[in-house]
Amino acid sequence: MIFGHLRLRRRVSLLAAGLVSGRERELALAHLAACARCRAAHDAEHDELRAVLTALASDPLRSAEPPLPAGVLAARVARALDAAAVPAGRKSLWLVALPAAAALVALAFVLLPSVQQRFRPEPVAARATIPPAEASALLSDDALARIERNLAREQAARYLSEAGEVLVTVAATGVDCDRKDDRLDVGAAPERSRVLLEKRRLVVDEGGEAVASARGVLDDVELALRQVAELPACVKRRDVELVQKDVEARQLLMRIRLMTRELEG
Amino acid sequence: MGRLAQGDREALTPLVERHYRRLYRIALGYLRQRDDALDVVQEAFVKAFQAAGRWDGSADAGPWLSRITVNLAIDRWRRNRRRGQTFSPLAEGDHLEVLADRGPSPDRGVLRREASDRLGAALQELPERQRAVVVLRHYQELSLEEIATTLGMSLGTVKSSLHRALHRMRATLAGSES
Repeated sequence: MIFGHLRLRRRVSLLAAGLVSGRERELALAHLAACARCRAAHDAEHDELRAVLTALASDPLRSAEPPLPAGVLAARVARALDAAAVPAGRKSLWLVALPAAAALVALAFVLLPSVQQRFRPEPVAARATIPPAEASALLSDDALARIERNLAREQAARYLSEAGEVLVTVAATGVDCDRKDDRLDVGAAPERSRVLLEKRRLVVDEGGEAVASARGVLDDVELALRQVAELPACVKRRDVELVQKDVEARQLLMRIRLMTRELEG
Repeated sequence: MGRLAQGDREALTPLVERHYRRLYRIALGYLRQRDDALDVVQEAFVKAFQAAGRWDGSADAGPWLSRITVNLAIDRWRRNRRRGQTFSPLAEGDHLEVLADRGPSPDRGVLRREASDRLGAALQELPERQRAVVVLRHYQELSLEEIATTLGMSLGTVKSSLHRALHRMRATLAGSES
């Protein structure tokens, strides 16, 4: 009888903390109805715990919103996965491979005049230096038009990809450069934005119909880059958050990714 | 999760969108530091992606991700403790963000902030697993069975942990008020 009472006392204590349900709860309640001492103990314990339960229920952190948009966190996770995928020892290999790759690209520019002309600041004038008759001797007009179109689309894809990198850098930055003034380091992002904005005319004007489907994304990217271009390297957190919100509201990173894929075919 | 298990990066974004807020609140409830909580959630998704191949795919990903997050929050807590950085009340801005739409009175805001800080201190006094049980129960409103599944504990252990935790917190809060 005493053991049964002790077992039920324990259950009554759990009841006061809201930790029993179903059949167990029914038994505890039945015991309370028959045991005045247990009922008094339950009520006292319930009153004591009420303060804790109320404090927990009204803690504002229960409804706290994450400080970064989900898209930005996903980009951070992807970058962390990339970093984890390249072992530290392989960096030295890149140091050897990169100059070699640069040399190959330089060689390609020398050997392929049409590519070289394409990347000069005045492409219209530059293209005129290729005699049409000479070009058509090698390729048909249709084939040339296709190559032109593909080059324009590749260039637009590369532009969007670089712009996406700049926006992710800004959106995902968490490095304090002035903790006291709550400022974040956005590194070279403003300078890169300015360079990209200069390139934009070439991509849009020269791309013509080939990049018409990307015009909406390119326009939104331009607006975002203009915001970033105006930032200093060490920028107030509030200003970074404004850019983040704008990028998130326009779903810009996702649209850049989709459009880049479309342009690359 | 099936796509994630095959290393499909595109599956990452929907997974983050679905679970980010919930995991952030678990980590924040546990650590009560915004930057640490964000780091923990990011690390949880990285670990989930890396371990997705070993996930059996038969269960809901939610408890699995919650468990990873809790374990990482505990690791972070231990690391902070070793460095002497345990509990510090949240910065002004952190509270204001979540209190902004709760009422116009500044006094009320201050009182709530103080209450939240006291609560945070009481939570930090709890043993690691007890604190995890309280956070899952009162910040995520999980059932006792769900907590048992998430933390790999028996139902009885969850109940006794929560019971002890609430009494311990009551004592701490009573002490801080006197």
